[in-house]
Amino acid sequence: MSVLISLRDVCKSFGGIVVADHISIDIQRGEILGLIGPNGAGKTSLFNLISGVYPADSGSIAVSGQSLDGLNLHQRARLGVARTWQHMRLFASMSVLENLLVAPRNYPGEKISNIIFKPKQTAAANHAVRERAMGILKRMHLESIAHSNVNDITFGQQKLVGLARALMNDGECLLLDEPMAGVEGNAYETMKSIVREEASSGRAVCVVEHNVSFIKDLCNSAVFMASGKILERGSVDSLLASKTLADLYFGA
Amino acid sequence: MEYFISLAVLVGIYITLSSSFNLIIGFGGLVSIAHPIFFALGAYTTGLLAIHFQTHPVLAVLAGGGVAFLSSMMLSLPSLRISGDYLLITSIGFQLGLLEVIKHLGVTGGASGLGNIPNVVEGSYRSAVFAVVSCSIAAVVVWMIRWLLTGPYGRVITAMRDDELAFSALGRNAMMIKLSLFAIGSGFAGIAGGIYAYYFQYISPDQFEILQSAMLLTMVVVGGMGSQWGPVVGAVLLLLLPQAISFLNLPPSVMAPLQGVIFTTLVLVFLFWRPQGLIAPDKRQSAKDA
Repeated sequence: MSVLISLRDVCKSFGGIVVADHISIDIQRGEILGLIGPNGAGKTSLFNLISGVYPADSGSIAVSGQSLDGLNLHQRARLGVARTWQHMRLFASMSVLENLLVAPRNYPGEKISNIIFKPKQTAAANHAVRERAMGILKRMHLESIAHSNVNDITFGQQKLVGLARALMNDGECLLLDEPMAGVEGNAYETMKSIVREEASSGRAVCVVEHNVSFIKDLCNSAVFMASGKILERGSVDSLLASKTLADLYFGA
Repeated sequence: MEYFISLAVLVGIYITLSSSFNLIIGFGGLVSIAHPIFFALGAYTTGLLAIHFQTHPVLAVLAGGGVAFLSSMMLSLPSLRISGDYLLITSIGFQLGLLEVIKHLGVTGGASGLGNIPNVVEGSYRSAVFAVVSCSIAAVVVWMIRWLLTGPYGRVITAMRDDELAFSALGRNAMMIKLSLFAIGSGFAGIAGGIYAYYFQYISPDQFEILQSAMLLTMVVVGGMGSQWGPVVGAVLLLLLPQAISFLNLPPSVMAPLQGVIFTTLVLVFLFWRPQGLIAPDKRQSAKDA
């Protein structure tokens, strides 16, 4: 296994509030790393720092050996950082399928010059992207709602669409922000198997999640964060067995 | 009859203006009101080329569109990094500032305007020819915008407007899309300006003031912001309404303020009771066969 994403001494604070305090983590290809900790521990902030929503104060982040420092959100996405959002952030006026069609990093049909000068190749490429999107929806058992507006589907389905959109983006580093919050039943099982499949296909996955059994089922290892610091890294069981951490998490 | 034909010239010009303005504010979500300045840049470019270089009319009008297209970046490059209300403010400044420049330059005729733009269509059919040209250009612009927005490019614009952060996190450069939308919309306004200059043979800075911005904004809001046919309906309605009132034979002292009152009332009425405008935008549904 090789390291796909590596963080070195990443620090960030907003005014007096420290959200990242010398964070160093490596995530390997094929690994599913859980990120756990109480609310306000800095888990989502860490995702925002990696994906470039805001820059780090100091430290460095690299994906496949390429430094992300100084790059903005869309440049980092182009280097392979794909993410989902705690509140999904789906494109609300569009259908499920269209949400997926916007996601590929290279889509020839959107360049006006291609539409005009290479109509045939463009049409073929459009068709291929569409097929791929339908393939992903099928894996998630969502093909029947492909043409529904994203506001007209259930919460669990919206979470899956958020993941599907990130998968269409092809980023090798997949950051999932609370994929299971509010998700139950079939969507839960689907989410689990898709995340597993994606990791075994060589992506590095990092999951922020409060659902401990999901983390236990899924993650090879986990990191426990509190107040912007990494307190411990290990197997999920050993982290949960540690009394100090359990106290911090669940309240003493 | 001549009266209706010259009205048709204006209808074509204003459909081009309101549709291209809608591309910027309705579809791009870029709150600029500086659209008339690109109309002006097109008109002045065409006028000056026609007067001083006897440029072929088609080339002169295209050059007007080109100048508007390029100069839109003078506004968009520095100010699209900021958005929302700030863009609105810089756009007002840009419009007023450039108009001041035009008012004080000798070559543009200053505040008294640029006259003697050569007539390119002689004879009794002059207005009819202009009406056909201006309405054809309007049709082409409406069709091009429609074509742009129904394809994958339209999907990208919609996604950017729905959630710019999520959009950028997919590796999309929102800035580039905004720049191109702004430039395309402004370019169309420049072309409308070229036709305007040739038809009236006289242009002056006061035709491109904030009042013109308000007029275009009213057309888009009343017609339906973000819908493809809305601005067309809005432009026709707002051009015909004042003409209809003029048939009432009211004294001029009542007429002039009455128009302003009607425009303002229309905007207020629509904002309260039908904010989506006469023609509401389509909810996007993915076509199953596209």
